[in-house]
Amino acid sequence: MSKPKLITEDGIRTDGRRFDELRPIRMEVGVLDKSDGSAYVEFGKTRVFAAVFGPREVHPRHLSLPDRAILNCRYHMTSFSVEERKPLGMTRREVELSKVIREALETVVFLEEFPRTSIDIYIEVVQADGGTRTTGLTAASLALADAGIPMADLIAAVAVGKVDGQLVLDLNDVEDKYGEADMPIAMAPRFNSIVLLQLNGRISKDEFPKALALAKKGIMEIYRLQREALKRKYSATPEGGM
Amino acid sequence: MTLPLHSKKDLTARIMQEKIYSLLQQGKRLDGRGPRDLRPITIQTNLVEKAEGSALVTMGGTKILTGIKVEVGTPYSDRPDEGSFAVNAELLPLASTTFEPGPPDERGVELARVVDRSLREGKAIDLKKLCIVEGEKAYILFIDIYVLDYDGNYYDPALISAMAALATLKIPKYKVVDGKLEKTDEYFTPELTALPFSVMVGVLGEKFLVDPQIDEEKVLDVSLIVGTDEKGNVVSIQKNSPGPVPINLMDEIIEIAWEKTQEIRKKFLESVPAKLAPEQ
Amino acid sequence: MPLYFSEHEVVLPGQLLSDDGRRSGEGTYVADGKVYAAQVGLATIRNNRICVIAFKGAYRPQVGDEVIGVISDVKPNGFDVVLGKHLTGVIRIPDRRKVQNLGLRVGDVISARVKESSLRGIILEHTRKMRRFDKGLLISIHPAKIPRLIGRRGSMINMIKRMTGCRIVVGRNGLIVISGPSPAQEFAAVTAIKEVEKEAHTQGLTERISKLIDSILKGGVG
Repeated sequence: MSKPKLITEDGIRTDGRRFDELRPIRMEVGVLDKSDGSAYVEFGKTRVFAAVFGPREVHPRHLSLPDRAILNCRYHMTSFSVEERKPLGMTRREVELSKVIREALETVVFLEEFPRTSIDIYIEVVQADGGTRTTGLTAASLALADAGIPMADLIAAVAVGKVDGQLVLDLNDVEDKYGEADMPIAMAPRFNSIVLLQLNGRISKDEFPKALALAKKGIMEIYRLQREALKRKYSATPEGGM
Repeated sequence: MTLPLHSKKDLTARIMQEKIYSLLQQGKRLDGRGPRDLRPITIQTNLVEKAEGSALVTMGGTKILTGIKVEVGTPYSDRPDEGSFAVNAELLPLASTTFEPGPPDERGVELARVVDRSLREGKAIDLKKLCIVEGEKAYILFIDIYVLDYDGNYYDPALISAMAALATLKIPKYKVVDGKLEKTDEYFTPELTALPFSVMVGVLGEKFLVDPQIDEEKVLDVSLIVGTDEKGNVVSIQKNSPGPVPINLMDEIIEIAWEKTQEIRKKFLESVPAKLAPEQ
Repeated sequence: MPLYFSEHEVVLPGQLLSDDGRRSGEGTYVADGKVYAAQVGLATIRNNRICVIAFKGAYRPQVGDEVIGVISDVKPNGFDVVLGKHLTGVIRIPDRRKVQNLGLRVGDVISARVKESSLRGIILEHTRKMRRFDKGLLISIHPAKIPRLIGRRGSMINMIKRMTGCRIVVGRNGLIVISGPSPAQEFAAVTAIKEVEKEAHTQGLTERISKLIDSILKGGVG
């Protein structure tokens, strides 16, 4: 298939957004009962669940660390989340993304509070339409907060990229496939630090700071939505009676 | 009396086993249900656009997501005029502390095969309708079941979700151009040819209950999943746990399964826009 | 120095609470000399320290806590006790005859006090106040909600006990044993406790729980 036109002369993207707009976002905290904390996050048609278990005892015991908790993370996609059915089991891509997501979360979780335990994070992509790792990370951070795990900050994440020669925020699937570059970024906004950064494609040296600024703008908005979602869950006062 | 504790299962508090049993003797259950009451069922369809069919089903606190992907392949040589389907199930680690990450364990495989048999022997769809070119091309349905939240009995909601995803399938139509298949812009939804549903029945002492919640499931002596179709045929049975079934209970268990699947059938038809094939 | 929150405000990880790092208490941390929230919870001041009372979070055993557990292993020198989804404690008894005399079996539910909680694990006392439950319902709620379930000077739990006529033993680890004269009364107690867990952070809870129990007992639900 040849590359479709991704941005019109008027600067409108395939799904009607401008270059600096996020997709419609939905966040819900505490959606899965059997986990200690959970969240559901939607960026457009990208839909992700995340759940946290722990801190819990490590079995077998010799795998535990004497001075801190182990953070485990599994990023996984359902077979029907993508265009071509994904075979069951973990692909190399899923293994890699599990690692970089875990390392992003390790920067904010106070692991030393829970020696000899593990904190396990499971991310399940229900539908993939671009930005699953950033959506997954955003959801995982909400699930950790929901589980009451002490952490220095929430983590918010989004991808920036280059499409038809232009920098754009929050790539969708088509832009990811046919664009020139895809750069997922995650930040702990309170400390202005980057906790996940990858680049797939090419951008010029001069474009990099502009891309970063664009990402930061999106991340601050996502961070605001995360805080709203958490407050919504915990501030809700029930109606009178039952 | 003292009941034996089953070491093979999760650690269970003895007082709970005795409590569940004594409640059952009074016709009551932990969550206020009667022995023959199902938990509330909700069914939502078409949640995953990238799947040709999908459904999210909750039965009490158990939550199941099923998606169906459609591929085009070659029919089996012994059934050249039929398409086919395959069922897989994953017990996701986010659903329960007792599920481990990794390839489906025996419980996941069992769940997939029980649902598969109910659909197949229950004749839920006409596989001939999935043939495109006899002997050459046919649709293959990959029915993939994911357990998202596990609060006991994933069998019945899994089958409901598979049925709901089947009922709302949108399969792309193909046409033959110069001997080759070409995808068209049109879609079709195969009619359901039967309505197989199952009910899990648990036995404790000489009593039984339907649709066990997790605390109950842990203390049952034994459980059975019984599938029936809308005509009253029994289309699948699985004894899915260790322990003996008292033979004198069997007739009643089958009768209960029929009664309760009728209830599920009613709920299904109310919630899902299912097209049923006319009576043959 | 100023505080950046109002009493009992819902705060979130990373939220700035104060410029005075010396006042950092439970549920908070210090960065660049300032106090930030580390957990989702209610911000408050206790003993002049800024604290976040977390809505959820792991149970951290304190010496003297009464906990409830299920015996998971019987060994020559004591017992292993499951204290919840993620936690196991031990009872160590040097005298083997004493272990046998206690007659505990796997699956028995007991309550005991925490004697030690450290990197060596959670050690429970067996001498005083350890007891086995012969009957009852074992339920579990989130450990962080236990203080709310007990209420000020036991107000909430005593009301539930009084209204339902049930005996209720509350473990700090979130496990609770309920035993009442009838299934309906036990059901009312369980429903009330689950409701407290769900609505722990809301206002006017005591009154709502009282109405709830009333309606269950009158309505004959369960």
